[in-house]
Amino acid sequence: MFSRHVTRNISAYCHGEVSAEEAREFTAHIMACTKCRTRFEEIKRGIKFAEQLRGVFAPDSLWRNLETNLGDSLVETPTGFRFGYWQTRVAAAAVLLLVAMAGVWWMRSDKQPPPSINSWEVARLDGTIQIDSAGVKDKGRLGIGQWLETGSNSRAEISVSSIGKVELESNTRVRLVETQPTEHRLELVRGKLSALIWAPPRLFFVDTPSAVAADLGCAYTLEVDEHGASLLRVTTGWVALELNDRESMVPAGAACQTRPGVGPGTPYFEDAAPEFRQSLTKVDFESEFAAKTSALDVMFSHMRPRDTITLWHLLPRVDGVDRVRVFDKIASYAPPPTGVTREGILNLDPHMLDLWRDELEPSWAVTTPIMKKVAQTYWRLKRGVERRVDKLK
Amino acid sequence: MEQRALMADQIINGRVIEACQRGDRDAFRVLFETYKDKVYSIAVYSIGGDKSVAEDVTQQIFLKLFTAIQQFRGDSEFTTWLYRLVVNACMDERRKRRRLLPWGDSFMSTPTHKKPQEKQYARVEIAEAVQLAIGELKPKFRLPILLKYVEGLSYEEIASVMGCSKGTVASRLNRGHGQLAKQLGHLREHAFQEE
Repeated sequence: MFSRHVTRNISAYCHGEVSAEEAREFTAHIMACTKCRTRFEEIKRGIKFAEQLRGVFAPDSLWRNLETNLGDSLVETPTGFRFGYWQTRVAAAAVLLLVAMAGVWWMRSDKQPPPSINSWEVARLDGTIQIDSAGVKDKGRLGIGQWLETGSNSRAEISVSSIGKVELESNTRVRLVETQPTEHRLELVRGKLSALIWAPPRLFFVDTPSAVAADLGCAYTLEVDEHGASLLRVTTGWVALELNDRESMVPAGAACQTRPGVGPGTPYFEDAAPEFRQSLTKVDFESEFAAKTSALDVMFSHMRPRDTITLWHLLPRVDGVDRVRVFDKIASYAPPPTGVTREGILNLDPHMLDLWRDELEPSWAVTTPIMKKVAQTYWRLKRGVERRVDKLK
Repeated sequence: MEQRALMADQIINGRVIEACQRGDRDAFRVLFETYKDKVYSIAVYSIGGDKSVAEDVTQQIFLKLFTAIQQFRGDSEFTTWLYRLVVNACMDERRKRRRLLPWGDSFMSTPTHKKPQEKQYARVEIAEAVQLAIGELKPKFRLPILLKYVEGLSYEEIASVMGCSKGTVASRLNRGHGQLAKQLGHLREHAFQEE
């Protein structure tokens, strides 16, 4: 069924109308095939639009008109079967119940997942784990809205639908926010999780108190402390950390911190010099201008060519003289390509920023061709969205 | 909706249908109350949002149902049989209305390719845009979408209603979703931000 392109089966996959084996083959193919992945993104958007459709309540006048039109065709007491007094009332009560359920459905319909895929399997690995405060012996199901918590010295594993696995370390608390073929979302309020996702980009999300981690086909760990700050460390692929307009793209080998009230910090490679990393924390989260400026000096003196990923992300996050200094430093490693001007970059021209990033990206060590394609697809989509936003503005 | 469909099947059992076949007013009222919203919803979306026309179509469907139910022998599920009736009635109505309109005119009262300038779209506006876009789809793409999202039917049930294979349903839904994504491209990304 999936020996070639899978575009014909995208809707069936999204609606859970394919077998587990077919779903696995589908995700494996789509990770490697740009054509199918692009179509997948499009169909997914179409599905999200179609999900906005609501049932419409018929007007009360319908029955009166119908009764008038049917006239004598309807009889009160036909011979033979009598639809009796109690049967009528029981049926009427059932209809009322149905209408009430329809009302509830009406109000909640935008929150309901397809009924076939509305919970994830949870396995206890060590110690004690709880779902909504109830102990889980070995295996359990985590439904939408339910909390899963691990105690001290405990671990649990969640099967994320058919697209991956998440392992929870001790003292971790997560909630299943949503699971649909077009979106799977966890909320991590405390503790640490490791995710391994083999789905197409932007299907799996983790909400934290200070950012949202959007998976782009990867493996990573995400840790949230008691203050709501988090640390993302990516081992394979790419992860995007987002909050409002602030976004950090974090590749394998890199990490990124987040803070409540600020959002994602700037990504950095974990093998960067300690001085570079410590100074970056000051640039990201210190409010004092002078402290940021001197921290930038330290970063410049301890950086390598691949650390331009950090500086490229910093361009829109620093102002005035500091932005000029960041520009000059990146340019000393890789001058802006044709079509990219100093003025354009300093004015944060999105197209020029993209062009320069494309030039710098080879040094950011995107390891495999697939991951490189994933990253390119992501940037392309993001560029398109930003252009449309600009047009609307 | 699927829960509603299940409930409906439980309520509309053989006895109710038999009673309807004999013209029992109460039984027919139960049948009507159970399915009126489902039938009306498909009519509204099929007719392009014109509620007064959808009301007429719904009424015609129930009048036809009252006559045709005499011939229902239980060879298929009642809901499948009913949806077939609804789908055919909506397609007939659409054909009829198209003949009455001059070439190039659509009976949609609002232009579908209007690009609103506001950055943020309220949910209602999105729903309206989706409704208009649905109305623009060819019936063979529109009806599977309505049966899937408004009625909550499975691919197999849709195939049964439409008299085609599951593969055809999958393919038509795929094309329908693709066309929706294209038609509503101007709402992309903004559309779900407020959720």
